[in-house]
Amino acid sequence: MAGFATLSQAWMAWDGPAPVPEDAVLDHTRELEKFLSEVERRAFRIAQVSLRDEDDALDVVQDAMLKLARNYGSKPSAEWRPLFYRILKNGIRDLQRRRAVRQRLMAWVPGAKEDPDEEAMDPLENVAAGGSDAPELLMRDQAMHQLEISLRGLPARQREAFMLRNFEGLDVAETAKAMGCSEGSVKTHYSRAVHTLREQLGEVW
Amino acid sequence: MNEQSSFEEHGRRLFAASVDNLDMRVRSRLTQARHAAVDVSTSPRLRFLRLPVWSSAAGVTAAGVLALAIWVGAPLGHPHHTPPVADTQAGLEDLELVASSDENNAAPMEMLQNDIDFYEWAADKTASGDSGNVG
Repeated sequence: MAGFATLSQAWMAWDGPAPVPEDAVLDHTRELEKFLSEVERRAFRIAQVSLRDEDDALDVVQDAMLKLARNYGSKPSAEWRPLFYRILKNGIRDLQRRRAVRQRLMAWVPGAKEDPDEEAMDPLENVAAGGSDAPELLMRDQAMHQLEISLRGLPARQREAFMLRNFEGLDVAETAKAMGCSEGSVKTHYSRAVHTLREQLGEVW
Repeated sequence: MNEQSSFEEHGRRLFAASVDNLDMRVRSRLTQARHAAVDVSTSPRLRFLRLPVWSSAAGVTAAGVLALAIWVGAPLGHPHHTPPVADTQAGLEDLELVASSDENNAAPMEMLQNDIDFYEWAADKTASGDSGNVG
């Protein structure tokens, strides 16, 4: 008799490796979920500082998560962090470029206004009412607000280096991967960023 | 601790506090985004892409041919057997139903995609007329 009449017969004769165990897929899924849950909030804040818009920041982070899962989910988990932040950085830049183009176009439209500048944040907004820690929380929020303003004034590469190294805690090598530049460049950008920020914030802080 | 590292530490603490104070709306949106990403990572398409390079188009083709042949009920050992047209059409429709996976029912396609080795091997065996020692 040639061939197999049924799949069951073929399976019974098969002595090759077993199919990928579902447990392995499950472990991988858990690992990815754990990684994303660890980085998602910091990633959102980093995007928010750069984009000054909550919904845009959420969209960029969501997009970065999906791209990581879709394109790099099969990579070793140790590589995920710099990859994720590289995707995020590219997403932020793309959005900033689109905004810049839109603003230039709008400038030619009679009566159209450019996007309004950042609205002054109300430092009381995030302070829980009535708590004894209110003055301290208020000062902390004001300090963070000042830092955000100063960060937005930095060149993009310096801002990225500072946020990845200081906020996210990436080491120099990981930051270089995320920014797509050499480790030497990361050190230079970071050092300049800290120097500028200290000059601007030193007295306020 | 020198002034620079004190400055850096202060920035780090402020940022961490701002992360801790994110409102529920943002947290909820991030959770939804994470779940969507995890779903993508377990989708059949990605698992298919994880297969080794050598599981080439030939393997996929062989798998498809074998699955189709078995599904429509044409025993490969009887090359002159031709099923009635109606039976063949019904079989093809059934196969289409199985193959048309959606978000909630991806298992049938996974079966095909995860076992390329097996189907390639089975197709080779079938082509060479050797079904091995079954049982």
